[in-house]
Amino acid sequence: MSTTFALFRRELAVYFVSPMAYIILTGLMFIFGSIFWDGTRNATRMNAPFAYSEVLAAISGLMVFIAPLITMRLLAEERNRGTFETLMTAPVTELQVVLGKYAATIAFLIFLLLPTIAHAILIGKYGTFDASESVAGYIGLFMTTASLLAIGVFVSSICSSQVTAGVVTFAIIFILLLSANYAQHIDGSTKLGAAAKSVIELLNPYRNMGDFTRGILDTRPIVYFLSLIVFFLFLSVRVLELRRWK
Amino acid sequence: MIEVRNLTKTYPGTTALNDVSFSISKGQVVGFLGPNGAGKSTTMRILSGFIPPTTGSATVAGFDVVRDSLEVRRRVGYLPENNPLYTEMRVAEYLWFRATIRKVPRARRAASVDSALGRCGLVDVRDRIVGHLSKGFRQRVGVADAIVHDPEIVILDEPTIGLDPNQIRHIRKVIRELGQERTVILSTHILSEVEKMCNRVLIINRGKLVTDGTPAEILKRATTGRIRLDITGESVGVREALQRISGVENVVEVEQDGDRSYLIQAKDASKVMPEIIRRASEAGWNVLEIGPERLSLEDAFFELTDRTGPVPDLLHATGEPGSPT
Repeated sequence: MSTTFALFRRELAVYFVSPMAYIILTGLMFIFGSIFWDGTRNATRMNAPFAYSEVLAAISGLMVFIAPLITMRLLAEERNRGTFETLMTAPVTELQVVLGKYAATIAFLIFLLLPTIAHAILIGKYGTFDASESVAGYIGLFMTTASLLAIGVFVSSICSSQVTAGVVTFAIIFILLLSANYAQHIDGSTKLGAAAKSVIELLNPYRNMGDFTRGILDTRPIVYFLSLIVFFLFLSVRVLELRRWK
Repeated sequence: MIEVRNLTKTYPGTTALNDVSFSISKGQVVGFLGPNGAGKSTTMRILSGFIPPTTGSATVAGFDVVRDSLEVRRRVGYLPENNPLYTEMRVAEYLWFRATIRKVPRARRAASVDSALGRCGLVDVRDRIVGHLSKGFRQRVGVADAIVHDPEIVILDEPTIGLDPNQIRHIRKVIRELGQERTVILSTHILSEVEKMCNRVLIINRGKLVTDGTPAEILKRATTGRIRLDITGESVGVREALQRISGVENVVEVEQDGDRSYLIQAKDASKVMPEIIRRASEAGWNVLEIGPERLSLEDAFFELTDRTGPVPDLLHATGEPGSPT
């Protein structure tokens, strides 16, 4: 446990010694603010209730670009710099390494989302704040991004250049999204079509976002996200273990 | 301390290690010597538990490097080739992190880090960022990292590569001190390094163990079988006189800076040598030196690892055929 925690702490610290954290944070706060401002302006003009969960849904869409930036460095850079060898000749297991690194991305995600709480507070003070929608929206945003991060950890584990890792992660997430978009055009009446349709929909990390933003909190999507995360982290552990194969 | 049996490592298309066996006992400082690509790093990676062998086995401190990899890694301190470090961390912070993941108990961690800093002469730079340090200091950080958890065995892959003479001298001093209480394995392709630091040398070439012995032994074995006679000043007819001695088969004369060397091929050098000395004093040659012709360690190394020719088996040079690879 202390080993995983030490790995987690080091990994989290790396985000804050490089300019990356501050660039992402500044950029995101600007975009979050714009989305929020645009949302409130529209709501006022149309005299409609302002749905904060829609802001959260928009933010979750942005994570397609942010998640690869967070994860691309993790394992690719260890390989690139050769520190993977120093790391794995210490008495640490592959699982501890993957968990420590993944935990650091989650902590960094929480750090990125923290400033948006200011928006929620503002709405609570000057408008009507739908707590159930917002809480479910946050959970949906968090879980969706957490699964994107797990995909990113996996891609970083198979790459030895962080730029490649970032681009490939982005491409994979984008393809998953696009195919989900086109899945509706697949003819679901044939057996093959139905199977393809359900597989594509299953692999869409955003499939449950709509339910969350409507305030629906169900255990099924949570279990789905958790299994997606476990699946990709498991794959990453296996990739790191590859060098032990004879 | 370390038992290596029939170790073989193949990568697709190449054999990095081919049936290597040796054992190292406690307290030895062992030098792995060989040209680049000979299999030194592969051996060290296997011993430090980073990669498994293809066939064969290795045990370190009684633990198998594959089955009990974690136990092995607890007991080994390893400096990989090229000394990879987390360059964004501060020196003491880095060592603290490494001590933590190497299971140094929290109560002892600060003392362990301080001790490693002290041994490697890093006290003054403890709060500097690793990436801002000179190469010599970075190398010291790598060595400090390898000893911070007080390991029984220290494995250093090319610890002095790319350093200037002063830095090399300091790293050597650190390694010699380590060798007084621990088993140390280091690899290098610089021979003088082995002479200065090691009490045992394993020469490895193209994946095979070629020679095993002390640096002095290897030097002694690296004789050519010829007698070398160095003479200074004007001497006439030396060559002819030498050739007349019974048992002498061939004499080669080499002139260098006014001095002359004669390389004498004889059936039995130990019988011919006293005879040469007698002749020399009778004829009044100004003899500087006489003795069996020795290869310098550099030449021995070249002979042992020459990639073009067969590998001479100097260990069993007594009539047995060599083992060309």
